[in-house]
This record gives sequence, C-alpha cells and structure tokens, in this order.
Amino acid sequence: MTATSAVQSGAVITRERGHLIRASVLTRRVMGTAARRVVGARSGLAVIGLFYLLVTAVLGSLWLTAANANGGSIAGYSTVAIVWYIATTESGTISVPMRLIEDIGLDISSGQVAAEMQRPVSVLWMRVLTEVGTCLPRLLLCLSVGTVFALAVVGAPPDATTLPLAAISIVLAVTLNLIAQHLFAGAAFWLSDAKSTWFLYQKLVFILGGMLLPIEVLPDGLEAVARFLPFVAMAYAPARLASGHFEPWLVALQLGWIVLAAAGATWLYRRGERRIMRVG
Amino acid sequence: MSGLLRTMRLAWLEAWTNRRGFWTQVTVMLVNDVVWVGFWVIFFRQVGEIRGWDTDQVLVLLAVLTTGAGISLGFLHNVRRLGTMIGNGELDSALALPVPTLAHLLVRRVDPIHIGDMAFGIVLFFGFCNPTPQRVGVFLAGTVTAAAICTGFLVIMGALSFFVGRSEAGDLGFHALLLTSSYPVDIFAGATKVLLYTAVPAGFMTAAPTRLVDEFDPLLAAATVAVALLVVAIGVVVFNRGLRRYTSGAVWTSA
Repeated sequence: MTATSAVQSGAVITRERGHLIRASVLTRRVMGTAARRVVGARSGLAVIGLFYLLVTAVLGSLWLTAANANGGSIAGYSTVAIVWYIATTESGTISVPMRLIEDIGLDISSGQVAAEMQRPVSVLWMRVLTEVGTCLPRLLLCLSVGTVFALAVVGAPPDATTLPLAAISIVLAVTLNLIAQHLFAGAAFWLSDAKSTWFLYQKLVFILGGMLLPIEVLPDGLEAVARFLPFVAMAYAPARLASGHFEPWLVALQLGWIVLAAAGATWLYRRGERRIMRVG
Repeated sequence: MSGLLRTMRLAWLEAWTNRRGFWTQVTVMLVNDVVWVGFWVIFFRQVGEIRGWDTDQVLVLLAVLTTGAGISLGFLHNVRRLGTMIGNGELDSALALPVPTLAHLLVRRVDPIHIGDMAFGIVLFFGFCNPTPQRVGVFLAGTVTAAAICTGFLVIMGALSFFVGRSEAGDLGFHALLLTSSYPVDIFAGATKVLLYTAVPAGFMTAAPTRLVDEFDPLLAAATVAVALLVVAIGVVVFNRGLRRYTSGAVWTSA
C-alpha cells in the first residue's frame, strides 16, 4: 500500500466512523425525544395501561378457563404458560399504535411526507425511530402491568430463565411490527385510499401472528403457513419464550425478518419519494 | 321530527356519495368480522365446549353484537365522538337548531364501516344460526336492545366530558363495552361477572339476547328491555344536565 492510498483509506475510515457516530447520536436523540414526550403525557399512558389490563384480563380468563376445562393444558400450554403467553402477546401489540398504517397513509396523501423530504435525513428512518421511541415506554408499562397480572393470577412463569431472552425478543417484535406497518403503508404512495388496510394488517397479526391464540392451535395447514410469515415474529416469538419454551432460534428469525422488512421498506420509500418528486 | 329525519337522510347521502370508499370500508369490516368468526371456530374446535358455550352460541352472540353495534355506531356515528366534541366545544352549531341537541348530534353522521358490521351480523344469523320464525323475532328484538344499550352507555361516557373535561374515559368505556360483550360472559366469575351486568352492561347487550334466542325466558327478556330503557334514559339525563354546564369553544363545525 502506498502512502497516498493509506492516507485515503484512513480518511474513508474516519469519514465512515464519523457517519456512524452522527447516526448513533441522532438515533438516541430522536428516540429519547419521542420517549420523553410519551412519558410526559401521563393520562395517555394510564389509558394504555388500563386498556392493556382489560384486554389481558379478558383473553387471559378465556384461555385459563379453556385450559382448566381441558385437564390443565391446551395445545401443549399449561395454565401458567398460557397466561404468561397472553400477557406477553398483548403487551407487544398494545404498545404499538393500532392505526399507524392509516396515519402514515394520511401523511403521504396530505403532503406531510413530501414536506419531510426537505430534511437531510431519511423520512422512513426518522419516522421508524420516532415510533420506536414512542413505543418503548408503553411497552415497559404493559410488561410491568402484565407481570403483576400474571404473577397474581397464576404465579411465577414456567421457566424464569427464558425471560431475559423474551425481553430482547419483545423489543425486536415491536421494532419489526413498526417497520412492517411502514412497509404496508407505503402502498399509499400509489393508492389514493390505503387507510383501511390497517384493519386487515391487524387481523393478520391477531391470527397468523399468534396474538389471540398460540399458532399451535391453528389447523395444521394454516399453522404451517403462519410459520413462514413475518407475523409470528411480531407476537408469537416473545410469547413463546416467556411461556417457558427456550427456543433462541426465534430471536434469529426476528432479526432475519427485521433485515428483510427494513430492506423492503427502504426500497419502497425511495421509489415512493421519487414518485412524489415527479408527480407531486 | 321531520328535521331529524332530514338530517339522517343528509348524513346517509354524505356517506353514500363516495361509493368506492363506502364499499371499500364495508368490505374491510366484513373481512374483519369473518376473521373473528374464524377465531372462535378454531377456538371451539380445540376446546369443545366451555361453561355451556359452544360454536353455535358464540355465532349468535357475534350476530347480535355486530348487528346491534353496527346500528348504533353506523347510523349514530357521533355517539363515539361525543366526548371529543364536548371537550373541544364543538356543539355550538347544534345548539342553534330547533331540534333536540343530542338527537341531532347522534344522527348527523353515518359511518359505512359499521354498516358493514350490521350487514355481516344479519347474514351471519340468517345463514348460520338456524333462523326459525321465533329465533328471528327474538334476534331482531335483541339487536334493538343491544343497539340501545350501546348507544346509551356511550352517551353516558361521552357526556362525562361536560363534568370532567376532555378525557379518555369515553374511548376506554367504548373499548371496555365492545371487548367484554364480544366474549361469552360465563368465562368470567364473581365480581367481574357482576360488573358486566351492571357498570359495563355487556352481559345485557349480547349474552342475554343470545340466551333468549336459544331459550326464551320472559323474565330475562323483561330485564333486558328494562336495562336498555334505563341506560338510554340515564344517557339522556346525564347529557342534558351536562349541557347546562357547556361552554362554547367558538368552533363552528357541522358536527
């Protein structure tokens, strides 16, 4: 290597390291600001906590009653496991805004996204980071309430050693859910009315994602399909871990889907932004 | 009365004007409801029967819920927005009209998405719930009481904004009612079950009409009708009392 190329390589490495440092600072600032805004609106957090408790209590009662009526277990889940399962799926799903796809669609069609394109940062990733920052305090609240609920109703989890992995998994689940919703909502760059799709997306997470019922309960064919779709990584994966099943490959699955969804969303938004610049 | 009828007609025309949007929203809700039916079919396929409830009874429950809630939230769409409108001071335009304020506000908006709910409920009952003449009669009466309970309860929740200012109580009440009335009430026990027949009248909204469709009981029928009338009456009283405390937000909207 000549002296000149060594200096140039060093300059590139320094420049790239500078980009990374700036990116990490920006990420922390964006997420931190969003999180502080959510924490500041205490009444909103209280409503989310109460709603979560209501939903978890209703669904938990349903599955607990079902398990007791079936000799103490259902689809391989004991009464203890099923309640921890439900408490986990609900915390991951309720902490994510339900109508985000509709909101993004409205922002695209109203020109809000076009205005955000003026900034020297990626529109998509600023929005994703903001949403992640918004969801994390909610997730923490729901997990706290859910833990107290499950402990009170059925006691300690089946295997507490899986909980740290479940905690990582649920953060990944929320992240994937948010990226996937942005990907879904990207259809609004081309469709004038994509806002009702949030209903359909929600039902895919509810059933094929294992939020309402463990995917082992699904008919065999449907279960096989569900395992190949990303929705299991949004609800089933952390719940499966929290219910005492040590299956670390689920975390790898989530990471894989995050990479795919991120790549898909980035490609789609780049095309969408070019369309806005051409068409307006 | 003619003023209210005219308002209802205009609200319907407003929703009907955008045909594509209308049918898209109706279709989306139909798909949503089919998914819920799918969930319960899968659940009972796994469980069998649970505290006297099986697939057939849950289908009747879903038919009552979607039809009753569809009537309330579809044709009286502002019932869900009352709290927000009160909190934002948006009632001024309605106060100036020579019609009862609450009635005008309720009929002012039609929501196509919940019309889809209503349509689904009717198709579900007539298609899959053994519609004998007696069962049809009880079902239709049950959906009217369900719509009345839903409307009255949401009016009460929304009217609380007159007294406590803008709050999320209305939204939470809405979700609590819809959620608890969409599950067989007998999965709950003790104080929770009492709550579902009192403070949050989900039991009377769906579980009682479902039982009546299967096996008519005059006492239960009378109790359900009485509760429906009571909830509506309380809603009207609370709203009118609260209206005396209303302060204008200087926002002139078409509600």
